[in-house]
Amino acid sequence: MMKKRERMMKDLEEDIREHIETETQDNIARGMSPEEAHYAAIRKFGNVMRVEEDTRDVWSFIWLEQFWQDIRYAFRMLRKSRGFTAVAVLTLALAIGATTAIFSVVYGVLLQPLPYTDSNRIMSVFEVNSSGTWSRVADPNFDDFRDQSRSFQSIAKYHADIASVSGASEPTRTTVAAVSPGFLKVLGVQPILGRDFGAGDAKKGAGPTVLVSYGYWRQYLGSSRDLAQSHLKIDGGLFSIVGVLPAGFRFPADVDLWLPADLDGENPSRTSHNYSVVGRLRDGTTVQQANLDISAIARRIHDTSSEQGDYLLKDGIVVPLQDAITGKARSSLLLLLGAVGFLLLVACANVANLLLAQASVRERELAIRSALGAARGRLVRQYFTEAFLLALLGGSLGVLGAFWGLAGLVALAPENLPRLDSVSINIPVLVFALVLSTAVAAGLGAFIAARATSGELRKGLVEGGRGQASLQSSQRVGRVIVAAQIAITLVLVVGAGLFGRSLMKVLEVNPGFRVEKIVTMDVSLPWVDDPKAKAGQAIFFSNLIDRLKQIPGVREVGATSGLPLDGGLPDGMFLLMTQNEIPKTMDGFGPLLQQKERLGNADFCVATDGYFQVLGIPLIRGRIFNGRDGANSPHVAVISESLARERWPNQDPIGHTIEFGNMDGDLRLLTIVGIVGDTHEYGLDAPPRPTVYVNLFQRPHGAITLTMLSDADMRSVASAARGILQDLNPEMAAKFRTFSQVHSTSLGSRRFNVILIGFFGITALLLATAGVFGVMAYSVSRRTREIGVRVALGAAPGGILRMILGQGLRTIFIGVAIGITASLALTRTVQSLLFGVTATDPLTFGGVTLLLVGAALLACYIPARRATKVDPMVALRHE
Amino acid sequence: MSTKEQRERIELLQGTLDLLILRTLLRGPVHGHAIAKAIEFNSDDVLQVEQGSLYPALHRLIKRKWISVEEGTSENNRRAKFYKLTAEGRRQLAAETSKWDKMAGAIARILRPAEQEGE
Repeated sequence: MMKKRERMMKDLEEDIREHIETETQDNIARGMSPEEAHYAAIRKFGNVMRVEEDTRDVWSFIWLEQFWQDIRYAFRMLRKSRGFTAVAVLTLALAIGATTAIFSVVYGVLLQPLPYTDSNRIMSVFEVNSSGTWSRVADPNFDDFRDQSRSFQSIAKYHADIASVSGASEPTRTTVAAVSPGFLKVLGVQPILGRDFGAGDAKKGAGPTVLVSYGYWRQYLGSSRDLAQSHLKIDGGLFSIVGVLPAGFRFPADVDLWLPADLDGENPSRTSHNYSVVGRLRDGTTVQQANLDISAIARRIHDTSSEQGDYLLKDGIVVPLQDAITGKARSSLLLLLGAVGFLLLVACANVANLLLAQASVRERELAIRSALGAARGRLVRQYFTEAFLLALLGGSLGVLGAFWGLAGLVALAPENLPRLDSVSINIPVLVFALVLSTAVAAGLGAFIAARATSGELRKGLVEGGRGQASLQSSQRVGRVIVAAQIAITLVLVVGAGLFGRSLMKVLEVNPGFRVEKIVTMDVSLPWVDDPKAKAGQAIFFSNLIDRLKQIPGVREVGATSGLPLDGGLPDGMFLLMTQNEIPKTMDGFGPLLQQKERLGNADFCVATDGYFQVLGIPLIRGRIFNGRDGANSPHVAVISESLARERWPNQDPIGHTIEFGNMDGDLRLLTIVGIVGDTHEYGLDAPPRPTVYVNLFQRPHGAITLTMLSDADMRSVASAARGILQDLNPEMAAKFRTFSQVHSTSLGSRRFNVILIGFFGITALLLATAGVFGVMAYSVSRRTREIGVRVALGAAPGGILRMILGQGLRTIFIGVAIGITASLALTRTVQSLLFGVTATDPLTFGGVTLLLVGAALLACYIPARRATKVDPMVALRHE
Repeated sequence: MSTKEQRERIELLQGTLDLLILRTLLRGPVHGHAIAKAIEFNSDDVLQVEQGSLYPALHRLIKRKWISVEEGTSENNRRAKFYKLTAEGRRQLAAETSKWDKMAGAIARILRPAEQEGE
């Protein structure tokens, strides 16, 4: 094709030469002089170049050629005005980069399908309780769901916990999931080595078996292919490894080992919500059908169960697993995406204004091109090309920035953000960046092309290149843009302000405990039923605590089953009763549970006396545990202030006895001996919950966090404690943190929002300020002559200043008014994410408005000052 | 050159140049300059071809395969390109001509309805 075209063009040149030669000959024949004849021939032929070009166009992809031409020209223009190009490209890079980075998180967490076969067919099943909240599923309820529903190909329950694991290269604290048969089938996963659990593995008393994750196999089992040789000791029990799961498969999150759930035996209670449930929909079954199915079963259970009460399910619900995993993160991430979108708008507005100023500088050039016959379409295309070039440059730079910024973003992200490991700059994210850049380019191109090639163009030439013609109208457009920028920025900064104030309010909350100088140590012993084994655990912890107290710098040591701000405590219903009322059999509890006046509801926490001292939880009345509360003396409980207030209003709870054995299997009554202060166990922004504390030495518990109040630094305490643990139980692994870290992590998601939205807000503020400055400075410089005339006619500098500032202020106030209105409408939607401030918090609105007006006024003041310095003599000679 | 003469010359309607070229080539292969001359001569110098514009038109017709080009020698014994009607070009010419006749007739009827009625 190309060759043919080249030949045709060469022939054409020859042909034209021949043509002109012939015409010249004709002219000579008519009596002209040779020179005259030649020129006449050429005149008659027309512009040779033009003819050649038109002919070439016949053969070429004309659009493409002109496109290249436009691009070359655009590059030349951008190179010529380097300052403009740099500012525009960097502004776009910042905005597109930030948007791409946030989108990559949104994509990785919310949009990207889960990495399982037909992952959209995998559902989570929940119980819905009387207050409408969703909870996990009790064993008998799961059995009914499994046996009676017709919607699932396979359905399985699972439950993850941290366990001490030894037998591999080193002891570890590993997340272990107990799963029912069919679990892998639901997720569509098969072992890459070995086998799935078989029917034989599920039976109680079978030789315990375990599946391991690919990562665990690589790291701790040396990628051994001979699985028969490997055994793991998990919470004291010996397991043979039967299979290795594929790389990347870690469901539920962070799990490295999977055991058959049936080893634990069934809990017959319909109100012990111990298991999460997943199911794979049958082909052709919709989510709605599955919901009707499960809901019907759940309601039947509700209607027929003997365990009536708040903890019994009222309904059931089926939601896609992906939604169940990411549900909590959704609103926060979409909020961030919205915020960064606003930043993008502000940035685009800035670039639009830059282009506008640039266009009026180039007015004369364009007027000339237009006069020389450039079609309007061609000029429009030129503008589009330049906008595309700017946006693509900015976009590429932005994507590079996003690569770099994403690491920081992920590091900053709260720990509880699910699926963070699937966040990356991948193909869909790059496509997004490209589409985004293209959209930005199209928007900017359309805007500037419409502005620049409108009817005012030709006047540019008439005005002798002073470019005054379209000044007024482009100034007006510029001001509209700036007002819009101010409005959007105000919304963003108000949002940042509200989230910032929320975080401050959260930090002001008195948590009810001390945070500093506490080193925590997570350990776990296996769950045991046998009273003798339990006594052994109590002795182990007692020894451990005594030894830890001797670490230099450690002042006090406590232990708890649930550190505040670290995942929460189990809750349940307790019974108010006395020693004589204890029924002989479990069935005897049934009638008691029907007596509402006996029931109470609280979190269940196992702790030691030292725990209250280390955390500084104040004793309100009575006493906390002491050395006399031995395993065989009456079991005691300490309750929180809010429980005392709610359950025993106008009464003294001390001395009452309660039955709370449903939490740990020990039916001995607990005598309330003291009341302690409330703690914000579930987060500073969540209200304290009524809590019952029992004594670790009377009611041992497997998974324990030791708390050490220490003046020494964490590392030395941790290494000393590790040595002690090694000494007492070499198979036990521990995890060390400071309580400050736990505290800080609990604020992670708020901090993430504040930092990001704050960053977007500040960036938008800077951009908007720059926008105001740009428009005002430009306006002043274009009006130099007019101002000079005014000064020459006797205008005082103060008057000039007022005139310019007044003009700026009008724009600013319009922007602020729109911004406040928009904020009032938009912040309501984030009310649920705020804490301690209303969505219309006057202080935030007022402060932000002042800040914005101040910054914008300053941006006006500098050019206005310059205007007052205009020397009329110089100004009138201007241009 | 008087202004009158200029006014009497008519610029070619868009697309008609192609038709005229095809018609000119009906008599046999001709080179570029001769085509321009022929059009001017045959229209009694009323139709003014800006000679250059002939070439993009010729190439357009080549691209559509209505004409072909071959080497030859011009009347003053120079090497020149001769343009030749193809079979397809011949068919096209017939079609275009009848279309043109129809259109010209129609335009004439619109422009002079009164005369026709009056006669």
